[in-house]
Amino acid sequence: MRNRSRRGWRRVFNGVNLATLLVFLFIVTPLYWMITAAFKTPSNVEVSPPQYFPHPLSVANFTDAFSHYSFGRYIVNSAVVAVVSTALVLVLGTLAGYAMGRLPMRGRFTVLVVLLMISVFPEIAVVVPLYALLRDIGWLNSYQALIIPYTAFFLPFAIWILRNYFMAVPREMEESARIDGASPLRTIWSVVLPQTLPGLFTAGVFTFTACWTEFLMALSFNVSESYRTIPVGVALFGGQFITSYGDIFAASVVAVVPIAILVFIFRRNVVSGLTAGAVKG
Amino acid sequence: MSTSPVAPAPVDAIGRSASPRAKRHPDVFRRQQARLGWALSAPALVVVAAVTIFPIGYAIAMSLSNVTATGNGFSLSGLTGSNYSIMVQAPQWRYALFFTILYTVVTVAVEVVLGTCIALVLERLAAGRGWMMALLLVPWSMITVINAELWLYIYNPVYGVLDNIFSHIGLGTPVILGTRVPAIAALMVADVWKTTPFVAIIVLAGLVMIPRDYYEAAEVDGATGWQAFWKVTLPQLRPTIALAVLFRVLQAFGLFDLPFVLTSGGPGYSTQPLAVLAYNAMFRDLDFGPGAAVATSTALLVVVGCVAFIKVFRAQAGTEA
Repeated sequence: MRNRSRRGWRRVFNGVNLATLLVFLFIVTPLYWMITAAFKTPSNVEVSPPQYFPHPLSVANFTDAFSHYSFGRYIVNSAVVAVVSTALVLVLGTLAGYAMGRLPMRGRFTVLVVLLMISVFPEIAVVVPLYALLRDIGWLNSYQALIIPYTAFFLPFAIWILRNYFMAVPREMEESARIDGASPLRTIWSVVLPQTLPGLFTAGVFTFTACWTEFLMALSFNVSESYRTIPVGVALFGGQFITSYGDIFAASVVAVVPIAILVFIFRRNVVSGLTAGAVKG
Repeated sequence: MSTSPVAPAPVDAIGRSASPRAKRHPDVFRRQQARLGWALSAPALVVVAAVTIFPIGYAIAMSLSNVTATGNGFSLSGLTGSNYSIMVQAPQWRYALFFTILYTVVTVAVEVVLGTCIALVLERLAAGRGWMMALLLVPWSMITVINAELWLYIYNPVYGVLDNIFSHIGLGTPVILGTRVPAIAALMVADVWKTTPFVAIIVLAGLVMIPRDYYEAAEVDGATGWQAFWKVTLPQLRPTIALAVLFRVLQAFGLFDLPFVLTSGGPGYSTQPLAVLAYNAMFRDLDFGPGAAVATSTALLVVVGCVAFIKVFRAQAGTEA
């Protein structure tokens, strides 16, 4: 029944391929609309009836987004926040994930469950107290105003992912490294980590994506022009007057591309991360 | 395993005992290892606790006292339940609770059914599955704010593409986001587009793990395709689908970005979920006490739901094992 061989025209025009085409169109159509809008001339973006095929093609929206608005600034801000947070999450998460996965700690299951709770906690419940706290220490509108909360909120999920990977590494190599007199940190670094590289990629891609797309905290803590990240920049584009969709979508295309490339390269890791819970139960 | 007192100490290639200390003093070694574990976890746990425990505690305190905003922070006074009674009596809160539940139930149901269908299709796909998977990840990785702007553009009553299509097929040009029911539907469509691929990927991973012999056995027994789906595929997929549902429900309950940008909660407050209500109460109306009550009770609902789900799921898994 499955994988039966199909002959002639049925090899191409069968139910599975037609259904796949529908799925393809379902995903691609809105994306097509966004990308073509970015490449329309600014006046054609908001023309009625809409242009289904942009003519003439133009990059005016892109130059606008970077010259009239400080979109380049937002990209730099997003990149700084996401890269530093991801690095911190990976370092702290590796140490904790290794401990939780490999070492006989009493109560680690409770800790893991509490961490899971924190990772699903609605952000809205902590935004105002964090805002007050950050204001007290003078951190509003700064990189650390986002880096520290992002690190804390995205660590639990990374610890879970990394712990699952650490549990799968055979113990023998670790034992012999210890016999050879390697310190625990050294053992993790040169024996265990190389075998959990896929796990690090998975946790890294997830954390980076989460930081890149986060909106509520970025909106609450960093509204000043010079520390806005991309989501806040896009949401507040053009101020309260006119939304210029051309600029928004030019910016969006630029914002979507790096993450799409990242996800494409590490698609196996992303899929295994999404399903880690399902596989490990 | 080697650290367990009863297990024999592992032996390496040349026959030395791999952990001599473990052999002689298993308890000492074990305790050492546990201490090392806490030492390694400490930095992560301290960061998480510092940034989450204090704000959670403070939010609870805010929700239970009279909050006044002062020049340098908040001042809390007295222990009171008035924030919660203000909340419960506000029609906005009751509607937001209803809306959040409605939104969660409808979108998660649609996404699970649609996502399972997509996964079933892609599993049978002979070529190009990897490409389709990569494509599915694009909406998932997209910034929600951008997704909201995109659909705002599609729904625009003057130059939006949807109204253009509607007018071609004789449905006129409705102001989609200006009326309650269409606005709710429009919001759900935007969510379904972004999140169905996520569900599809999880379900697909569950699908490929079902052992082939189950299907062969079903075929030998003369099961039709439908019967095999209901009796083999679906029961095997249950834990996977349950996990996807849990993720999605928790996310949908904290819904903020999409309605904040796409509808601003409107028209009126007809697309205003709990998180947006809490945000508006605190940041726009400066009603910190009641806002904190909304936020805290929402978080409580999420935690209770999560615990209940894990309990039920574990109990079910237990009876089957």
